[in-house]
Order: sequence, then structure tokens, then C-alpha cells
Amino acid sequence: MNEHIPGENLIIWEFDYAMTTFYEVDTDQISSLLPKELSPMEIVPGVSLLNITAFNFPEGGLGHLPNFQELIAAIVVAPDLSRGVPKFAMYVFSLGSTSQDHLDHSADYYKLPSYNKLKYGEINRKINEVEFGDDDGSILTMNNCCKDIGDYLGHERYFQAFVSKGDDIYIADLYLQAALFEHQEQGEVGVINNHPFLKGLELFDEETVPYLQMILQPSTKGKQFYYKPEKYR
Amino acid sequence: MSDKKTKESRPSYTEFTLDMFSRSSGKNHSEIKQFNQWRDDIIEADKYTFETPHLTPQTPEISVRRIHGDEHNLVNFSSYNYLGYANHPEVIQAAKDALDTFGLGATGSPLLNGTFDIHKKLEDSLTSFFGQKGYGISLFSSGYGANIGVVSSYIHKGDYVVLDHSSHASLIDGAVMSQGTVKLFRHNDAEFLERILKRISKENRRILVCVEGVYSTDGDYGNLKDIVTVTKNYGASILVDEAHSLLIAGATGKGVVEEFDVLADVDLVIGTFSKSFGGIGGCVYAKNDLINYMNYYARSRMFSCALDPAVTGGILKALELASGSDGDEKRKRIIENADFLRSLLKDKVDIGTSHSWVIPIIFGDERKSLPLGDYLMKRGYDFSIMMFPAVKKNKSIIRAFVTSEHTKEQLEGCAEALIDASKEFNFGI
Repeated sequence: MNEHIPGENLIIWEFDYAMTTFYEVDTDQISSLLPKELSPMEIVPGVSLLNITAFNFPEGGLGHLPNFQELIAAIVVAPDLSRGVPKFAMYVFSLGSTSQDHLDHSADYYKLPSYNKLKYGEINRKINEVEFGDDDGSILTMNNCCKDIGDYLGHERYFQAFVSKGDDIYIADLYLQAALFEHQEQGEVGVINNHPFLKGLELFDEETVPYLQMILQPSTKGKQFYYKPEKYR
Repeated sequence: MSDKKTKESRPSYTEFTLDMFSRSSGKNHSEIKQFNQWRDDIIEADKYTFETPHLTPQTPEISVRRIHGDEHNLVNFSSYNYLGYANHPEVIQAAKDALDTFGLGATGSPLLNGTFDIHKKLEDSLTSFFGQKGYGISLFSSGYGANIGVVSSYIHKGDYVVLDHSSHASLIDGAVMSQGTVKLFRHNDAEFLERILKRISKENRRILVCVEGVYSTDGDYGNLKDIVTVTKNYGASILVDEAHSLLIAGATGKGVVEEFDVLADVDLVIGTFSKSFGGIGGCVYAKNDLINYMNYYARSRMFSCALDPAVTGGILKALELASGSDGDEKRKRIIENADFLRSLLKDKVDIGTSHSWVIPIIFGDERKSLPLGDYLMKRGYDFSIMMFPAVKKNKSIIRAFVTSEHTKEQLEGCAEALIDASKEFNFGI
């Protein structure tokens, strides 16, 4: 594990539920969402990865905030290896939360693209399924499709998060210390609806294939060491 | 691995996988620096088992020299020399004869001045081997070149290439060169393929579905019956890559297309000479008008030197042997050997859906890959170790290539080493 010293450039988030799915999407569909300085990482040319992550932060997991749920939409992009070698680098293009304070903080400190406050973020821990929505209706349901869950591995994982504000691009280093199970089973993982949260991205339901999923070990907590973004180049 | 030494310690080399060094943004080529640092770490730990020079032919028993100079005598389960033709005396003699007659290299493009009489003989022999009237063969200097040349000359911008999710890189790269739109369907899932074809076939575009006879990581057969039917129902074309199955699958070795009786419905059959033929090169088998077109428009053929004449002589002899009783015997033996090894491994380790001479032993966690490869080599066995992104996350495999030349004792020793490894690295069942 790396040493992370809390300070004004580092906030530690503690979560007790996390599920993330990387979906295969046509590169043509996501290109318009990316700043021109960033390029998607394609699993094969023409096929990129859309990442959707759901978190539950218990009361006290992030400063004084009460329990809330977060939904993040991102595109996997080419990393900046001069900073280290991440598991993935992602350009975050939409952030939803059931907490307005959390959204405000994320927009201010992390320059994250805060979407509206979400009406609900329901998490069914028994069957590993989440559903998020707001006044415009359901954004998505997402479930783990792997029946044969194996080892949860607790090694630290390093990620890079790109965001943009105006014409500027920022990058943040992010470390997860959590017991996660990863798999690439290609089963049914729920439905992503055509919702403003996804900024115009439309997926063909019948062809939505998960590339990779990660889930947090039940009854455990994970920590996210999220460094303050720096201007990128 | 990071520059930020002040707050990070360096993670172990086992935390990284090849995909992580594939790209970096920016002008400073950080991926090259980081990759080399990772490679150096593996070498320093004496776990580097890649690029190990062989000191002997690809027989079941080989000698290799590792990067620190230590030599090992190994039982070889990592070669594609499925039928032993790479070192068959008659094949070697035929190659020597061709070398004496035609010289070392073809020194020219096949379309211009690189085609020799021996190439024409090989084309004719392969065409007769498949046996359909009005069909022909086009030769390529590699199997990779065959796939990229064929796909990119058949499909153009605005068309579709629909690939099985487990497709070989050469098919993917062919699709890229074609500038067609790439669609992926779940591995061997004809229903999923139909969903895609149903939507895209409404457009007036050419569609090429690409699958394989035997998949080289899972060792399973392509679901050709269902996939060919669905493809034809939607007016699309189909390519079957028989790289790992030609000369082996089917009653006479024509591949899985023969075994499933779909040869007549398949538009393009790809063959590779670097596996069961024991040489190097590739070919496509298709209707004559298509072959004539590809001879001119498959850029990987047009702009590569023709097949080495000596290798061509050897391939021709391997084909002759494989078409007769020698082939019948070897086909029977390789299948028996593969079934025998599977019988020793099943219930001890997870061998997935293997149905062929490619047997994956699933050990899961990719972080075990490098130490496991080293362990098996020090036990006296050479295998291919495959990890993400070549295989799925948490589904890393030891890949064993069974040949017709392995003995019962070698197969038993192989199973024993793998079962011991499963105890040592905790992946037994």
C-alpha cells in the first residue's frame, strides 16, 4: 500500500458499497463527449468503454455529510503514465448524487461535472443491484452478472480521473483501498435508459455488453484517496 | 513505478498487466519508460520466461536458455507443432530440395516476380485438398497477413465487420485496416449475433462475420452450425479462420468446417502454415473470382515478399503426408492425447470448455502469472501463460498445446506438474 498523507490536497472518502461496470460502446457514440486533448482507450478499434460507478457513502464517510449515494459516468481514456501506471484513466462527464452538499463540494473542489441532485439511489445489497433516478425518470438499473463470485482482492488500485471545466482539463490521482472482486462475465447487467444524465448518449439495450465489473466485498468498507485535481498540461 | 517517490512506494511487478503500458497521453513516451522499468523488475526477480531462446527444434523435449544464461531441459507444451511436421525428416528433406532448386528467398512480390513453380504446386494441392469445384487458394507470407489482407480487401469504409468476442488480433487488425465498422458479439452466441445482424442488415452495406474453427485461448470449437445459419439468413458473408484446426479437425483434416459440414456455405476459409503444417505462412480458400481479386487487392500479399521457397517445399510435403495415412494416424493420436490429458486434469483443475488439442488450465488471478510460469519451467515444463488482456480478468490460464508426438509418460508428467502447481498456487478444485 502507498502512503497517503491527508492534507489540503487529499480527501479520504470511506464507502460501504461500490459497484462499477465498464460497458462496451461504439467510439462514434462517445467521441463528442470527450475534449479533443483526450482519446478513448478502445478494446478493439471502434469499441470504447463507458464506465458507470455507484457508491454508497455512509454518514461520516465524507466529512459531516449524511448517508448518500453517488452515480458517476465516465469514459476510459489514454492515461498519463508520466504520473504512474493506473489501472484505468477515466474522463468523468456526469456526476449525480442524492446529496446537494456533495454535488456542490465535488464541483468546487474536484471540478466534477455535477448533474442535478438525484431523487433516489436504491441499493439492493443482497442481489447486488442498484437503481438511480430523478424527476426525469429512471437513469439505470445495474446489477452484477457474475454468479460465481471468487476472491475479493484488497490490494490498492490506482486510477486517474480527468475532468474539464471550460476549456481547461484537469487530472486527479485516485487510489482505492478496498476488497474488490473483478470479473468479465458477459451476462445481463441491467438497463441504461436514455436520460439527460448521460448527456445524449444512447445505447442499444439489446447489444449492451459489460466488459468488466467490480464489486466491493459485502460488509466491508473501502477507502478512496482522492487527490485534488491539477491542471493538465 | 511512479515518479511521485515522496508519497508512494513502488508496487510489485505482479500488480501490472500488459494493457497498462499500451498507451500514454503526452509527448514524452512514458509508456516506454514505464514498460521497461516493469520488464527490468521481472528480470531482476528472475521471473522472466518470455523470449527464451530455444536451443533445439520444437520437439516434445526441448532445451532453452533463460535470460540470465541458465539452460533448462523441458517437456514442450507450448508449441503449435501439432502434428510434428516441423521436424519430420521427409518435410525437412523436401525443404532442403526446394532450397537447392529455388534458393533462399523468393525476393519478390507474388504478383510480380516472386511466384515460383513450387508456390503454384502448393496452391493446386491445397485446392484439391479442399475439393470444391470453382474454388482456389491465395498464399500469404504469414497467417496474420492472410487475415488482415483478406478482411481489408473484402470490406470497405461504411461496411461492417462482425467479430466474435474471442477473435484473434489479426482479424481485429484486418477490420481496422478495412475502415469498416466493427461490431462484437458474445463468444459463440448465435442469438447475440442475430440481434446485431437484424439491425445492421437493414442498411445496404456489406457485412462480414468472422469466427474461428478452434479458439486458441479457450480451446473450444466455434459454434459454426448456428453461426453460419444465422449469417446466411441475413445475407451476410462468413469467414472461418482454421489456424488451429486445419489438418487436424474433420475426418480428412479440412478443419471444423468439415467436422460441422458447413464448408460449402462458408465464403472464406483461412489457413495458417505455422501450426499443424510446421512452417510459416497463410492462405485463403474461396471461390476463384474472389481469389483472383484478393491476389491484387490484399495489400499484405501484394506488398510482402512471396513465401520462402524452402518452407513452401516443406509445407507441400506436410500437406501430402497429412492427406494420407500418416495424417489419419496423427489426427487420431492428437485427439487421443488431448482426451487423455483432459481426463487426468478434470476434477483436479478447471480446464474450461476445451474440446480440442488446446487445453487451458484456469488459475485465475493474473498476479500469479509470472511466478507460476517460472515455477513450471523450473519443474521442467514449458507452457504458454496467458493473462489479462489476452484472457478475461481473473481467468488467467496456463495454455497447454497437446501434439500427436507427446508420449503417455510426457502427458502424465504434465498433469502431475500442473496438479502440483495448483496446490502450490492455490487453484485446484
